[in-house]
Amino acid sequence: MRDAGEQWPSDAELLRRHVAGDDQAFGELFRRHRDRLWAVALRTVCDPEEAADALQDAMVSAFRRAADFRGDSAVTTWLHRIVVNAALDRLRRRAARPAGPAGDEQAFEALAGSAGDPAHATDTRLDVDAALRILPPQQRAALVVVDMLGFSVADAAVILDISPGTVKSRCARARARLLPHVAHLRGNRSASQSVSPAQGGDV
Amino acid sequence: MRGQTTHLDTDVLADFDAGLVTGRRGARIAAHLAGCDRCRALRDELAAVSAVLAAIPAQAMPDRVAQRLDRVLAAEVVQRNDSERARVDSARDPATGGRPAGHRGLRLVSLRVLAPATAVVLAAAGYGLSQLAGGGGPQTASSSAAAGPVQAASRAAAPAVLPGSGPAARAQRMSGASFPFVTSQTNFMPGTLRQQVEAALRAAESAPAAVMTCVRDVVGSADLLLVEKARYQGQAATVIVLRTSQGEVAKVAGAGCSASHAKPLASTTMP
Repeated sequence: MRDAGEQWPSDAELLRRHVAGDDQAFGELFRRHRDRLWAVALRTVCDPEEAADALQDAMVSAFRRAADFRGDSAVTTWLHRIVVNAALDRLRRRAARPAGPAGDEQAFEALAGSAGDPAHATDTRLDVDAALRILPPQQRAALVVVDMLGFSVADAAVILDISPGTVKSRCARARARLLPHVAHLRGNRSASQSVSPAQGGDV
Repeated sequence: MRGQTTHLDTDVLADFDAGLVTGRRGARIAAHLAGCDRCRALRDELAAVSAVLAAIPAQAMPDRVAQRLDRVLAAEVVQRNDSERARVDSARDPATGGRPAGHRGLRLVSLRVLAPATAVVLAAAGYGLSQLAGGGGPQTASSSAAAGPVQAASRAAAPAVLPGSGPAARAQRMSGASFPFVTSQTNFMPGTLRQQVEAALRAAESAPAAVMTCVRDVVGSADLLLVEKARYQGQAATVIVLRTSQGEVAKVAGAGCSASHAKPLASTTMP
């Protein structure tokens, strides 16, 4: 886990100051991590508006519940946990409404039209965004936290509030399911990633 | 998965790679992989899924979202301070528990006193400036409506001594001395007071020498209450407010104001 260990005040110190009444501390803490928190929210709910709502829910919740933080995990882990919860919560509420859009192959087909030119990172991102939509939310959240954000399985288990074994199986299922949709993108990454030595790099 | 002759399917491989298949079954899969190019290729493709995902850079939060969250956070801070203040108020004096909303905005004003670099924080809410800058140190008038701010002030007014400063000497008489006066949105906090003051000092604009001499000349021996760089009838001007024996006097000095030419453009007295 890459944590913001170098910075001072530390995350834990900022949180402590916030609880002690410092008006600036929480803002500093949140700004420090907001891009990653945004990424989690966006990838999990697959919609910028919903992601902003989820992140706002999470931020307010973390602001108010900061005193509950016991230091069992890193502050970032705690923050991510709150964001993922808020995101999944949003998805549940959306699913309860009629006409829930995400999560089917048709949505993927509609959104993945740009597969023809694999040279552009933007296309790759859009393809991945579209592919992620076909996953059930729980699998998607696990895959986002582990594969996209690079959290360890142990940290992901805390963030997702599930056992490490469940993290692994959700990620495994999600990877298997995504395979047909992102396999064509792998060539793009050969320069920067040490992918599949057995395959001999580009084919 | 039946046996070594059947090719592995993606789910099984994914589970295997995630470390979920162990024991005899795991060994069978490993043995099959060792002898099957097709399944090894599938496994590589599966590994590439993670690699593709990991290579997607996290996009920065859009400004629009960041601004919205900043606003929400600011409102949370205000709300927390209000409820904290209400809690403290009602604990100390039940009669002032439900204070009117007009006192929400606690304005903290920073003053930079030049000689010993010591920051003193004064609290003002619904006060005139004259009460603030009156005799010297922090003033805490004792009207009942001021209960909240005064408490907040006593909480925040622990002096933060900056490097190189001597001890104490915070009750400076601010007559005629030159100091920038800034109204800011900064909410100074006990834990970060020093850093915040240092940042404020770095950001503070010092008045140009000509304005300094002009102000000094206009002020004379009166108490200086406020110097504001502004406009007067559309022209650049400096508004200087003093306390004299006749009351508070505001003088507007034009751009050409200097020690030798200090006649104000306008003047008004507030008894």
